[in-house]
Amino acid sequence: MNKLAKKIDSAKSKWEKLNDNREPIVYIGAASCGRAAGALDLKEGVKTFLEENKKSARIIEVGCIGPCYLEPLVDIKMPGQPRVSYNNVNAKMLGMILKSHFIDGAPHKKLAAGHFGTDDFDGIPRFFDLPMLKPQVRIVLRNCGFIDPEEIDQYLAVDGYQGFMKALKSTPEDVIAVVRQAGLRGRGGAGFPTFRKWTVCRESPGEQKYLICNADEGDPGAFMNRSLIESDPHAVLEGMLIAGYAIGASKGIVYIRAEYPLAIDRLKRAIGQMREYGLLGKNILGSDFSFEIKIKEGAGAFVCGEETALIGSIEGKRGMPKSRPPFPAISGLFQSPTIINNVETLGTLPNILRNGPDWYNRFGKEGNRGTKTFSLVGKIRRPGLIEVQLGTTLREIIFDIGGGVQKPFKAIQTGGPSGGCLSEEFLDLTVDYESLASAGSIMGSGGLIVMDEDTCIVDLAKYFLDFTQKESCGKCVPCRVGTRHILEILQKISNGEGTPDDLLALRTLGDTIKKGALCGLGQTAPNPVLTTLRYFRNEYLEHIRDHKCRATVCKSLIEYRVIKEKCTGCQSCVRVCPTGAITGPRSEPHNLDASKCIKCRSCYEICRYEAIAGDAIVIRTAERQS
Amino acid sequence: MPEQIQKVLGKHGRSPDELIPILQDVQAVFGYIGEDSVKVISRYLRISENQIYGVSSFYAQFRFTEPGRHGIKVCLGTACHVRGGSTLLDSLEHGLGIHCGETTEDKRFDVDRVACLGCCALSPVVQIDRDIYSRMTVNKLTELLKNYE
Amino acid sequence: MTKEKKVSIIIDNRKVEAKAGLTILQAAREAGVDIPSLCALEHLPSYGACRLCVVEVDGIRGFPTSCTTPVEEGMVIRTDTAEVRTLRQEVLKLLLSEHPASCLFCGEQDECKDFQGTIRKVGVTTGCRYCPNDSLCELQDITQKVGLTETSYPVYYRNFPVEKEDPFYDRDYNLCILCGRCVRVCNEIRLNGTLSFKQRGKQTTIGPAFARTHLEAGCEFCGACVAVCPTGALSAKVSKWSGKPDEIVETTCPYCPTGCTLDLKVKGGEVVDVSADYDSPTEHGLICVKGRFAIPEYVLSPDRLATPTVLGPEGYDLIDWDGALDLAAEKLKEAGAKGSCVVVSPDLSNEDLFAAQRFAREVIGTEAILSPLLYDLGGDLRAFVDLVLTSEPIDSVGNAKGILSIGLDTTYGFTPLGIAVKKAARKDAALMTIDDGECNLDFLSEEAFHSDPEKWPEYLDGIMKSMSSNGKKGKVPSSFFKKGERNVAIVGPGAIFSKKRKEIFEHVLSMRNDLGWKVIVCHPYTNLLGMLAMGAFPGLMPGSIKSDGVLKFKDPGAIVDLKAKFKVGYFIGEVPSEAMPQLDYIIYQNALPAPEGVKPNLNLPASLFTETPGTTINFEGRILSFNKASEPFADSRADWWIMSGIAGRIKKGALKYSSLAGIQSEIKKAVPGFEGKDKKVPRKKVVMEGKAAEKAISRKTTVEAPASFRGVPLHDHVAGMKAIEERRHK
Repeated sequence: MNKLAKKIDSAKSKWEKLNDNREPIVYIGAASCGRAAGALDLKEGVKTFLEENKKSARIIEVGCIGPCYLEPLVDIKMPGQPRVSYNNVNAKMLGMILKSHFIDGAPHKKLAAGHFGTDDFDGIPRFFDLPMLKPQVRIVLRNCGFIDPEEIDQYLAVDGYQGFMKALKSTPEDVIAVVRQAGLRGRGGAGFPTFRKWTVCRESPGEQKYLICNADEGDPGAFMNRSLIESDPHAVLEGMLIAGYAIGASKGIVYIRAEYPLAIDRLKRAIGQMREYGLLGKNILGSDFSFEIKIKEGAGAFVCGEETALIGSIEGKRGMPKSRPPFPAISGLFQSPTIINNVETLGTLPNILRNGPDWYNRFGKEGNRGTKTFSLVGKIRRPGLIEVQLGTTLREIIFDIGGGVQKPFKAIQTGGPSGGCLSEEFLDLTVDYESLASAGSIMGSGGLIVMDEDTCIVDLAKYFLDFTQKESCGKCVPCRVGTRHILEILQKISNGEGTPDDLLALRTLGDTIKKGALCGLGQTAPNPVLTTLRYFRNEYLEHIRDHKCRATVCKSLIEYRVIKEKCTGCQSCVRVCPTGAITGPRSEPHNLDASKCIKCRSCYEICRYEAIAGDAIVIRTAERQS
Repeated sequence: MPEQIQKVLGKHGRSPDELIPILQDVQAVFGYIGEDSVKVISRYLRISENQIYGVSSFYAQFRFTEPGRHGIKVCLGTACHVRGGSTLLDSLEHGLGIHCGETTEDKRFDVDRVACLGCCALSPVVQIDRDIYSRMTVNKLTELLKNYE
Repeated sequence: MTKEKKVSIIIDNRKVEAKAGLTILQAAREAGVDIPSLCALEHLPSYGACRLCVVEVDGIRGFPTSCTTPVEEGMVIRTDTAEVRTLRQEVLKLLLSEHPASCLFCGEQDECKDFQGTIRKVGVTTGCRYCPNDSLCELQDITQKVGLTETSYPVYYRNFPVEKEDPFYDRDYNLCILCGRCVRVCNEIRLNGTLSFKQRGKQTTIGPAFARTHLEAGCEFCGACVAVCPTGALSAKVSKWSGKPDEIVETTCPYCPTGCTLDLKVKGGEVVDVSADYDSPTEHGLICVKGRFAIPEYVLSPDRLATPTVLGPEGYDLIDWDGALDLAAEKLKEAGAKGSCVVVSPDLSNEDLFAAQRFAREVIGTEAILSPLLYDLGGDLRAFVDLVLTSEPIDSVGNAKGILSIGLDTTYGFTPLGIAVKKAARKDAALMTIDDGECNLDFLSEEAFHSDPEKWPEYLDGIMKSMSSNGKKGKVPSSFFKKGERNVAIVGPGAIFSKKRKEIFEHVLSMRNDLGWKVIVCHPYTNLLGMLAMGAFPGLMPGSIKSDGVLKFKDPGAIVDLKAKFKVGYFIGEVPSEAMPQLDYIIYQNALPAPEGVKPNLNLPASLFTETPGTTINFEGRILSFNKASEPFADSRADWWIMSGIAGRIKKGALKYSSLAGIQSEIKKAVPGFEGKDKKVPRKKVVMEGKAAEKAISRKTTVEAPASFRGVPLHDHVAGMKAIEERRHK
């Protein structure tokens, strides 16, 4: 204990020094999103600038603050000044910003987006007062973007591992009681009260118990877990210690998908640091609690996010779910009592233990306590990672935080392939487990996909069923065969060959699969279809009766046309057309041969979005042959 | 070749739950899971070759044929799909003349789909080798491919 | 014994007392409620994939599967509500859309059955009428049970080619419904691992790795998968079009000393197929390819001897039984006691062996009761008999700490033992294998020694030394085979038929006698214990195995000159071999003709074990029965009947047997173990009597002969065995 206490002290003083910096600090948001947006090139740019100008500064790669649409973010903290954030930084902007701070001695007011100080600063707004951040309550994400995820000392300095140390001082049963009082529900999707599974596991006989962190995050469109692990890995690991202690497990496993190499890296490093600091191994901090953490990588199977399939995968088998009973809490990994918790659930625990359950109950509402992270993406002005209290309305999330949509709003999809599409009438629905379920959807892991009029709802349902078909393990009949039938009917409808009977068939199939499938993937697979049928029936009927795809997405129901009056004959489209469907000499309106057109959008893009062209190419719903 | 496989095995214990990590390491070294590898793993873990094949063919990560020089993965997560991900894949397949999961004749490219790379705010996203490219369009992708031999 | 724990449950409003630990499906069945199911099967671990056995249970959300849910005190279960019924029908519709189901709902089914006869054997199965499983099919049953009369879902025909290249059974995966029974039986019951699910979702298929054939992939051709397949996807080549059997007759397999229980399927008076009995205490249903697939073609071979024939100047002439028996008697009488020998097969029943030794001793007056194993083993016979008599039962492998297998591959034989070894090696037994090449037990072994049998005595030496000296020297570290722990040595055909057999036997005997090892011997002589018990050996009288299990054994070579020439040889169920001395006149009594190159003078057609009853003794000493399943072929007769007929013509009144019972009552008086309920021959130890033969026969059989029965190689008459033999001796 003393060794760690000393380290905490030194960590805190280091942190203080950092915040009271004598040396300038440049923060670069370099989680996966940042890197995809070019953050590492910017880092090189900063280094070059400093060298050339004989200036020195500390460069810290931080994680994700949240607003991904602002990537790449570069923040500068000069001595004596608050940290100023710059967004969507490119090389040119970088030069201007660095010159402004390092040479002119002041922030670049025009480009600055916000600052992280407490008081006013030079007319620059506080970052957390900006509309997309103000309504958010950042508990799980509190450290993301502020600490260096590769430095355990920074985590310790912001009260990291305090929650675990408190837990160690009480009994495991007390810890479970705290979690119960806090009302924490599993954040992986089902929303099952965390304390209940823990209690069953604690009471199950067995020498060896396991705590598994489910970092498989298979929902397409969801990246909250990835961000958290990349930006604040110790929060999750501390949560694992707390959970392991509560259930009596001595071995922890992080099951993380192989598609997250940076997150895996950060975890490995963090685990090594834990060991150095005596937070892993035998008799941690002088207690009776011993714990070891291993990392197991997923191998590309969405179904392995399901508990029993995940266990099968760790055991080296095909990831095929098993019937329950027996429940994993009683007989799971290697037939031992096992608890599987989601990354976010674990990341929440340190805060609950540190601040107490009453504090946590201040957030959210009765039965749905606390906050939830969401990845708000799609056709929204301000896509990114957010965290709000449970009970916030969809309207607030989409319009206040997300900045609304550019084109008319159509639908919001929650819960990934297991969830549903909700129409405009649900904008005032509160985000909590029960109301989403009553609308036919689920909370899921937190993916929120916003859609506008350019999204075809039939195509979207088709997309999700295609995904489910490809990820279905193939064990049980309803999922393997039923989803195939559903997909084929949707393809029929999308091709303009649907009949009204098909809608009834979809409902029957959906019902059968929901009741008959073996696991959660199958049981929820029909949700996208059933909700879209419920709330967007007219669009289905348009496809069937009128052969019309109002969003101009379904290829068989649309055609590309050149508007001769607008065409300037610039030949940009001719150059990019892969099949030679567009022809025409320079300066004369071009011709589009529909029989050769594969509807790849190249011509549409270049005409619409490139500077020299105009909007001479349109996509229309095809004329119905009578 | 067998010595290389033995080297990989040396880092893992002999229990069946080491199978997937072993396969991942073998594929990292050789690029795919070959028949010799399966044989050696079978002896090491005491699992039949057929069971090993059954497990590895379940997971999308593993392949049994030599890969192309560059792996193109088009993200087909929901956010990417909504912003035209499948059109990207279609045009790529059309342009290279192969289907998803196949390798071009000249072994230059593999084309595959991936469920979600987790960069949803910057959709549509394409990964070539280890580089991730965001906000892709059909034309940008065509240009990009020219950089890969 | 503690009483079985019971729980009270309510099924469909009826109170039921069910055994604790059963699933709802099992408990319901015992209570007479038949819940439809497809993927569940007795003896197989439950899987829960077909979703047909769903029920409603108070307190459990949704529709749990009854095959995976254990019963609990106070459970309230409803198996037949409207919702459950509808769900079953819908699920079945989906299942059938992956299977060519056209005949199931056709309105002209009955007419088709009555008037179309069989329109099967068309290349591709597109409906029940074209399927080998028609009228035997569990899908047909379930469709009726669930009450499905129509479906509107399209059928996905996967267009797989029918797999026919492997021996014994065909695979048409277009009919496969992915119930997984075959995968489970292959991996978890047979511990073989040839079958696996491949890929996932709708692309799922079943088979070995990398599109290999089953032969290449290590399939044992035990046929367990064919037996459990509910559809026509897997069908045995010989019996696939036979339809529903008329009756099932239980018998014992005659192909090796394991003595597995077999259920013979009889159709139209013929044995067309064989299935295993998982409840059999001998082998627990884990039979090998020979018993499973190599019986019908042998018994029904078109080459079977139908009627007696005698070799004339222009070939064989027909002769009636009286004439044949007269001729045989004449020739034997002529040759006299010194000029005649009787050659018996180790595959004969106890009754036939008993009659044969009486024939030789009382009717001919000779001790020359010869058999191939005398020539195969030569001077090593004494050691061999010593090891065989005290061979341990299969169960001794179950709690062994160390297992040493010498020259054994259990792919195509001795499978119950092989599976027991695999089970033990997976648990906590240390397995070491010694063979001249790869064998199927290698991959479970701690150490696998592959070398020429030249070196095997050296290895055994090393093991023995290291055990004695606690590992201070020798190849084997002391932690491997520890003194005082239960160690089992298995001597396989690879050792028995090697040139170092003598030394190997010596070492193994020493390991048994001095170091406490248990020994199991795997050899091809089916009723060797019967030969010893019945006294079908030179110098060994019936009842030589005393009731205290001690056998006083004389070296046959010391009683009879095995190199002597005889005038007449009377072969009972055996084939004259090159090892035996020349004979002037051969009386050949067998079911199948002698192989190419051997021309017996007189052929006496014998009935086989499926046509005439008898008993045999397996390697554990158990007395097991052959039961009659069909009438004797053509004009063939039981071996003992023929012997009786000849005997009476040589010596009036000798060997007067009118029925099997007559022989059996004599045996009961002479041989301990045959009387009473136990039906087991006592075996304890062998005491060598007298000197060894001065001139031991030099013949060294160094190559294991192909699998044979009554001297005739199986692969001469059973098509699939050719491929098996080729693979065995690759």
